[in-house]
Amino acid sequence: MGVGPSTKETSLHHFRDPLIEVLGNDPGIDLMGVLVFGSPEGNAEKIRCSRTAAVIAECARPDGVIVETDGWGNLDVDFVNCVNEIGERGIPVAGLNWSGTAGKFVVESKYLDNVVDFNKNAEGIESNIVGENNYTEEDVRECLKRLKIAMAKKERGIK
Amino acid sequence: MADIELRRLVIKAYHMTDVAMGDENKVTADGRMTVNNDCLAEIVGKHSEVIEKIDVEVIKPGDHDRYTNTIMDIIPISVKVLGKCGEGITHTITGVYIMPTGVDVDGKQAHEFGSSEGRLKDMLYLNRAGTPSDDDFIISFNITFKKGMGQERHAIIDAYRAVEEWMGTFRAQLKKFNGSMATERHEYYDRIRPGQKKVLVIKEMIAHGAMLDTWIFPDEPSGVEGGKSLIDYGCTPIMLTPNEFRDGAIKAMN
Repeated sequence: MGVGPSTKETSLHHFRDPLIEVLGNDPGIDLMGVLVFGSPEGNAEKIRCSRTAAVIAECARPDGVIVETDGWGNLDVDFVNCVNEIGERGIPVAGLNWSGTAGKFVVESKYLDNVVDFNKNAEGIESNIVGENNYTEEDVRECLKRLKIAMAKKERGIK
Repeated sequence: MADIELRRLVIKAYHMTDVAMGDENKVTADGRMTVNNDCLAEIVGKHSEVIEKIDVEVIKPGDHDRYTNTIMDIIPISVKVLGKCGEGITHTITGVYIMPTGVDVDGKQAHEFGSSEGRLKDMLYLNRAGTPSDDDFIISFNITFKKGMGQERHAIIDAYRAVEEWMGTFRAQLKKFNGSMATERHEYYDRIRPGQKKVLVIKEMIAHGAMLDTWIFPDEPSGVEGGKSLIDYGCTPIMLTPNEFRDGAIKAMN
């Protein structure tokens, strides 16, 4: 099992992903698509791939972006870089990520305020319980709420 | 302004109410499924360099006070009936999910960072999007690797191929199910909602190596054959329509 059994997303999770479900069903959202990128091992590659994702986002002219990852630790490097690159491009951004107490971000960015921590474990740890620390519909709704606020603020010119 | 529908994906689900060991690997549209171990020797033979043995067991809903080796994945049985990934018709089975587990001949668990062996009731959180519900059956597909092979990327990939080869018998039957007997029918659209907020989803998925791997675009939903690791794409971002994503375009390989 991958980066921690409790945070890893199974094939079944991908098949009935609540993120796609909630966004696809929201009449106020025009879901453009799902941009998938791998999280490589090397640091230079991490920066390149996550930046490329932000570049594609910029070129697609979205009103907002949600970034999600089922990993933590070294996967935060790409995650935070992606969120940061999108934020720097002036695009409202929200995210979903497992932090708990054991997986706090190993890098920082001022654009992380709208990232929802979907930890479910009482101690905030990687419990090795398959599925425990997976995001649910409620997490997605919270994330989408934060994104909608960020998009509305931008529209009204509020910093 | 009205929504613009680009393409439709219909997923028809067939719910299993009776899953048990039996004389043959058989699934019927009225909700009965039997599995057995007879065909597994042939599958092991194909992967004999890395796999020592495989056995399959049916776990009834709630019967989770039992030992499990580390859980590698939870996989739905789905098959494309008509059209390409993200459009047309897909059949899927609900009420039972496949749970490959892995250990090597010396008892070393097939894991990379944290493993989930132990009492099943303690190690599997039910009712998540990615896990079975309280009422679901589980088919535990127990793989015993050759010595040390539970940590080798090619062996893990082989193990998932073995799962898919076994699943093939059921997929072939599921593909022919009468559409009108489906217990659920879901229509999904790739659509443009003019005037609404345009939102892009970005998903970062692990692509490090053995057990830290994600594959994309398999021939069958949530399958392996025909798919490719994100590592082989150099981890470069790939755009999917929402319907492609809903149609099992991503296979966890960790």
